[in-house]
Amino acid sequence: MMIKCENLRFTYPAESFQLAIDAFSVEKGESVALIGPSGCGKTTLMNLVSGILTPQSGRVTVNGLVVSELTVAARQRFRLGTIGLVPQNFELLDYLTIRENILVPFRVSSQLRLTREIEARCADLAERAGIAAHLDKFPRQLSQGERQRAALCRGLVTSPPLVLADEPTGNLDPENQDKIVSLLLGEAARIGASVLMITHDPLLLPRFGRVVEVMKLRRKGGDA
Amino acid sequence: MNTRGVLFLGFRYLQRNRAKTLLLAAAFTLVWLLPAGIGLIVAKVEAQLRARADQTPLLLGQAGSPLELVFNGLYFTKPQVASLPLRAVDAVAETGFATVIPIYARYSAGGYRIVGTTLDYFDFRQLELDEGRNLLRLGECVVGAAVAEKNGLKAGDAVISTPETLFDLAGVYPLKMTVVGVLAPAASPDDEAIFVDLKTAWIIEGLGHGHDEADELGEEQKIASVAPEDGSVRLNASVLEYNEITPENAERFHFHGDTADYPVTAAIVIPPHVRNQALIKGRYTRAGGLQLVSPGEEMDELFATVFSVQRFVVALLVAIGFATIGIGALVFLLSYRLREEEFRHLRHLGADLVTLRALVAFEAGFVILASLLVSAICLALIHVIAPVIIREMLG
Repeated sequence: MMIKCENLRFTYPAESFQLAIDAFSVEKGESVALIGPSGCGKTTLMNLVSGILTPQSGRVTVNGLVVSELTVAARQRFRLGTIGLVPQNFELLDYLTIRENILVPFRVSSQLRLTREIEARCADLAERAGIAAHLDKFPRQLSQGERQRAALCRGLVTSPPLVLADEPTGNLDPENQDKIVSLLLGEAARIGASVLMITHDPLLLPRFGRVVEVMKLRRKGGDA
Repeated sequence: MNTRGVLFLGFRYLQRNRAKTLLLAAAFTLVWLLPAGIGLIVAKVEAQLRARADQTPLLLGQAGSPLELVFNGLYFTKPQVASLPLRAVDAVAETGFATVIPIYARYSAGGYRIVGTTLDYFDFRQLELDEGRNLLRLGECVVGAAVAEKNGLKAGDAVISTPETLFDLAGVYPLKMTVVGVLAPAASPDDEAIFVDLKTAWIIEGLGHGHDEADELGEEQKIASVAPEDGSVRLNASVLEYNEITPENAERFHFHGDTADYPVTAAIVIPPHVRNQALIKGRYTRAGGLQLVSPGEEMDELFATVFSVQRFVVALLVAIGFATIGIGALVFLLSYRLREEEFRHLRHLGADLVTLRALVAFEAGFVILASLLVSAICLALIHVIAPVIIREMLG
C-alpha cells in the first residue's frame, strides 16, 4: 500500500475547520482523483500525506514509513525522496531557467545527487512534455500551460514513488489540461508511481483509476 | 545542507538581481572604505611628513607662513614662498652655531622641482648615487630616482627647465642641463627632485647668464656705451644668449651684482647640539623679517588640526554608515519578505531548514563579504599609490 491514513484528526490553529478521516488508502501504482468543494480539506489531506502538515492524532503511512511520527528534518528528507509535488501555481523560481527549475530538488537536497543521467532524464521529460525548446528560458518567457508542464517535470524528475498534484490544471485551458493529465498519468505509469491529484474538472475524472470525494470521506469515515 | 546547491541558487539569485546587488555592495563598500581610507591616507601622509620633518632640526626662511616654508624647504612644494637673500643664510652660518644648507626650490623641469642647493645637502640627507657623479660644474644636475625611472634618464642625458612665462621676454628662459648622476631611491621627496648647484638655479632665474663677449661683437649689436670709462656697454636683443652651459662657454657665464643678495627659498639649519639650537632659535625666531621654525613642531600643529577635522569627518561618516547599514538591513528584510513564497516552495519540495537559512543569509552575506573584499582591495591600492596621492596633495 502506498498511502494509508488511520483515524486522522487535524485542525488549524485558531480556526474552526476540522478534518477527521478514519481511513483512507491508495495502492501502489494507483491513480486517484480527489474532488470536493473548496474548503472541504482536499489540500489539507494532501499536505498531511506529504508531511507538510502533521495531524493532532492518527497515523499517516506512506510507502511503509509513518510520516506523522517523523521529525521535521526527516519529513523534509522523506518528501525529497518519496514525493513528487505538482502545485497549482507552478511554484517555479523566476531567477532560474526552466532546466534549473526542473532540477531544483537536486540543489536543495544533500541526499539527491545531480548526475549526467539525471540531466538526461530532465531533458527527456522536457521533450515528452513539449518544452524541450524552452529549457534555457526563464519562467516569465513561457505560457501558463508550458510553465505547468515544467512544474510537472520537476515533480517527476526524481522518479518518486508517489506524485501529489494539487489542481495542476486549475489555470489551464482544456487542451493544456488534457496534455498535463496525459503527461502526469503516462509518466507515473512508466515509473510505477501512485498519483493523488486534486481536481475540480469532471471531464478529467474518467482518466483516473479511482475518484474520492473528500466530503464523503469525512462523513462516512471511510474510502469512497 | 547541499553547499554547492546553496551557492548555485544564491549566485543565480544575485545574478538575476545584479543591479540591486551591485548597488548594495557599492553602498556597503563606501561605508567601510571611506573612514578606513581617510584614516589610511592621513596616517600615510603623517608618517611621510613627520619622518622628513623630524630629520630636519630647523628651517630658516623669510617671515610668512611657517607651513609654506616647511613645505618648500622639506618637500619642495609651494614655490611661491617668499625668498630671503643668501646674505641672511650666510649670517646664520657665520654665528658658528650651526651648519646651514641653502635651498632654492622655485623652478621646475617636466613637472619635477629643480632644487638649487650645495653638496652639503646630499650628506645631510644621506643621499647616495646609483650612477654617475655628483655636481661639479655649472649647468649640471643630479636627478632623483623616481625622476630617472619615470623619464628613462641616465648620466649623460639632458633635462630642460620649464619656462615660467612663455610670452614674457624678460621672464625665465629654459636652460638645458646635463644629468651627471642619478640618486638611489630614498623614499622621500628627493626621489622626485632635480638637484642643481645654487648658481645654476640662479641662472635659470636669469640672475646669471652667458653670452658672446661684448668686445667680439659688432657695433650693430651695441646700443650705447653706458660707462665709457670702464668699458661697459648696453647690448641689444640680437646678442646670442646661451641656453646650455658647456665646457666651451662655461667661462662666459657670469652674475651681475652681489650674489649675497640673490634669493633662496629656505635654508636648513643644523645645530650640532640642543644648546646651540636654543641659542639660534632665540636669536632668529621671527625676528628681522626672517623666521626660524622647527619642522617637527609645525607638523604637530598641522596634524592637530588635521586630526580634529578627521575626527569630525569620520564621526559624520560613521553616522552615515549606520544609516546606510540600516537601509541595507531594511532592503534585505524586504527582499526576504518578497522571497518568503519562494522559501515556502522550497520547504515544500523538501529543502531542510539549514539550507533555507543559508539561502536567506546568502544575499546579505555576499553583499557584506564582497563590499569588504572591494574595500580591502581599494585600501591596498591606496597603500600603493599613497606616495602619488601625497605628492598631489602637497603640490
